[in-house]
Amino acid sequence: MSFRLNGVGLTHANGFAALKGITLLAEKGERIALIGPSGAGKTSLLSVLGTALEPTDGLAEVFEFDQNFWDTSAIKALRARIGTVHQSPPIPGRQRVVTAVLAGKLGQWPAWKSLASLVYPLDIPGARAALERVDLADKLFARCDELSGGQLQRVGIARVLYQQPELILADEPVSALDPALALATIRLLTADAEACGATLVASLHAVDLALGNFPRIVGVKAGRIAFDLPSERVTVPMLHELYASEGEQLPIQAHEPHFLSQAPANDAATRAKCC
Amino acid sequence: MLLNPANRDPAARGRLIGALATLVILWPLFQAAEVKPGALFDSGNLKVIGNFLAAFLPPETGAEFLGYLAKATLETLAIATAGMALAFLIAVPMAYLATGAGREKPTLNPITRSLLTILRGIPELVWALVFVRVFGLGPAAGVLALGLTYGGMLAKVYAEILESVDAAPARALRHSGASRLLAILYGLIPQASKELASYTVYRWECAIRASVVMGFVGAGGLGQLMDQAMKMLNGGEAATILLTFMGLVFSADGLSGWLRRALDTPPANHASPFGWRSIGLLVTLFASIVASFQLLDIGFGELFSAEAAHSIGEFIAGFFPPDLSAEWLAKVAKGIWETLAISVVGTLLAAIAGLLLALPKWRAPFSFILNSLRSVPELVWATITALAVGLGPFAGALALALHTAGVLGRLYAEALDNAPPTPGKALRLAGAPGGFAFLYGTLPGAAPQLIAYTLYRWEMNIRMAAILGFVGAGGLGQLLYFELSLFHHAQASTVIMAMLLLSIAVDQASAWLRQRMR
Repeated sequence: MSFRLNGVGLTHANGFAALKGITLLAEKGERIALIGPSGAGKTSLLSVLGTALEPTDGLAEVFEFDQNFWDTSAIKALRARIGTVHQSPPIPGRQRVVTAVLAGKLGQWPAWKSLASLVYPLDIPGARAALERVDLADKLFARCDELSGGQLQRVGIARVLYQQPELILADEPVSALDPALALATIRLLTADAEACGATLVASLHAVDLALGNFPRIVGVKAGRIAFDLPSERVTVPMLHELYASEGEQLPIQAHEPHFLSQAPANDAATRAKCC
Repeated sequence: MLLNPANRDPAARGRLIGALATLVILWPLFQAAEVKPGALFDSGNLKVIGNFLAAFLPPETGAEFLGYLAKATLETLAIATAGMALAFLIAVPMAYLATGAGREKPTLNPITRSLLTILRGIPELVWALVFVRVFGLGPAAGVLALGLTYGGMLAKVYAEILESVDAAPARALRHSGASRLLAILYGLIPQASKELASYTVYRWECAIRASVVMGFVGAGGLGQLMDQAMKMLNGGEAATILLTFMGLVFSADGLSGWLRRALDTPPANHASPFGWRSIGLLVTLFASIVASFQLLDIGFGELFSAEAAHSIGEFIAGFFPPDLSAEWLAKVAKGIWETLAISVVGTLLAAIAGLLLALPKWRAPFSFILNSLRSVPELVWATITALAVGLGPFAGALALALHTAGVLGRLYAEALDNAPPTPGKALRLAGAPGGFAFLYGTLPGAAPQLIAYTLYRWEMNIRMAAILGFVGAGGLGQLLYFELSLFHHAQASTVIMAMLLLSIAVDQASAWLRQRMR
């Protein structure tokens, strides 16, 4: 088991119920896409999984032990095993790419190593290897504010790859990228999660990206789970009902290659590089 | 793994060289500032400062003394207000001449710019010292000194603010035939007004502190009272005066905060841009300016009479030619080095202390400490640190550090607060301990601002370091004070020129460093 949510509810301080009675179980190595209209609770669900928010209701277990928010060292140890890809990469512009990538292991490193790495990056080969997988090895010593938005997003992914988490959470990881890059990035994430045996949960705005790249699709609507199905069993009417509040059109990324299939082309290569 | 050249950090050599160069430069500066932390714990010094601080309690509350105190406080406020009024009158036309804003081609008016540099480069205390010789002891010297220096500072900052806002509206107006003045009024002032006003109010706050200080050279007000109390080691009186300073600075702080918030409220929906509040404020402002001049018993006529002009001219003529003998120049060079050392050591210590005080999450007690440190002017701190570690440059550096730590700590706390929170939060979510999430996530976002604040403060501190010598803290100030006391005007003018050159050089160095560290 990777995580188990049992009747999880999340009510914000202002009384808004973001999640209501969510029950969701994931085995190790599963790849799950969260889809649903904006405001449905996808981000809240990911925040609960990432221990950023404490559920106000129900039970949330990640990696066999339930979240105990009073035990800060246990939470830190748990968080070190969870990697998050953010919508906009949370990396300071003045930081160098190598430092930004190494920061992924701050939760695992001893203090002296974290301190020393500020002065001289201690694991340059490791950072280079992670960057190679996102095609950015040449930017190893560049400063992050010299990169384009897409490059920076890939640095954020490289950081998560370097962290080698057992659970990867991605909150709309490609909504700021152009279609071609978005597809490539999602493929990189899924291929890497598969190769490392990590569980991947990604919320996606574009339905085609989700259906084409993830074996399991969870539809979220108004804080509840609308459906939880293998991708081949998700039908167009179900999607229309899920997105009823957003009008006739389904949100999709690219129009030509309808419901893209997976590209296992470089899977073997990725697997070889991983772990 | 380090043997593989591809896996070596290409920036490491540069960093190492930079670190070594910093050490090589800082070491002699620390030597010159005679940094000796041991002096803080020297038993003799501890006894002196202990006795003095013990005498702080109880603060003097005699009716007669409180009467003096009230009069001095009013005088200080009046000097600050009158000085600022004068500074504003100087600054507006100068800023208009100096700024490149609203010009078709960006011309930096070099003559006005250099005049402004001279006005700013000579510390207000030196101007005050000079004017005291012309107008005699009293507030007139203080008002003029404040007016000139702050006029220079305001003009420079006004000019820079006008240049920093979006130039397109003014350019469009000029292209449709508006004059430069109108283009600025209609195109730039609406964008810049808030920043202009809030900087002016901030400067008024500084003027209150500066007018306290000018009392030390006989320009009246609280400073004069403090000087007397310190010279007689009358702790009780000193304590009451210090408390009054803090009260003044705290309330000026509160008032300026209220004004800045008031500037944020959108105007009411009627034709006149002035509501009852703005009209009330303007009336109060004019009334207080008039009252200030009344209280200080100086009229503009008196300040700008032919007689005054004549005596100023005669006095200034005494400064020429400056003494350029090799022997004197060597002495001045030593003073320059010592002053530089005081400013660098003071600013560095302040940056460290300020950062430590800015970090704690629970702000209330720390902002009180910072505000208290800040509310006491450097020169007043110097009279106290001189008791603690003996006369000399180390006392000056400590005094600078104490005041500047208050200023920088507050600015740092604001900058850290405004730094983007997401990088640090993301690292904490990946299990990083809080301290490292701060070092890797938050600090890099705030660093440019922290560095810029520190360097700006260093530019101010070099001017302050130049005058700390007035109370025996070494450097150029001590030389100037002696020579002026002995009426050696030729020697004094060399020192003033050295101060000016030093402050210009530091401005350049700091601008270069800011550029490098961006």
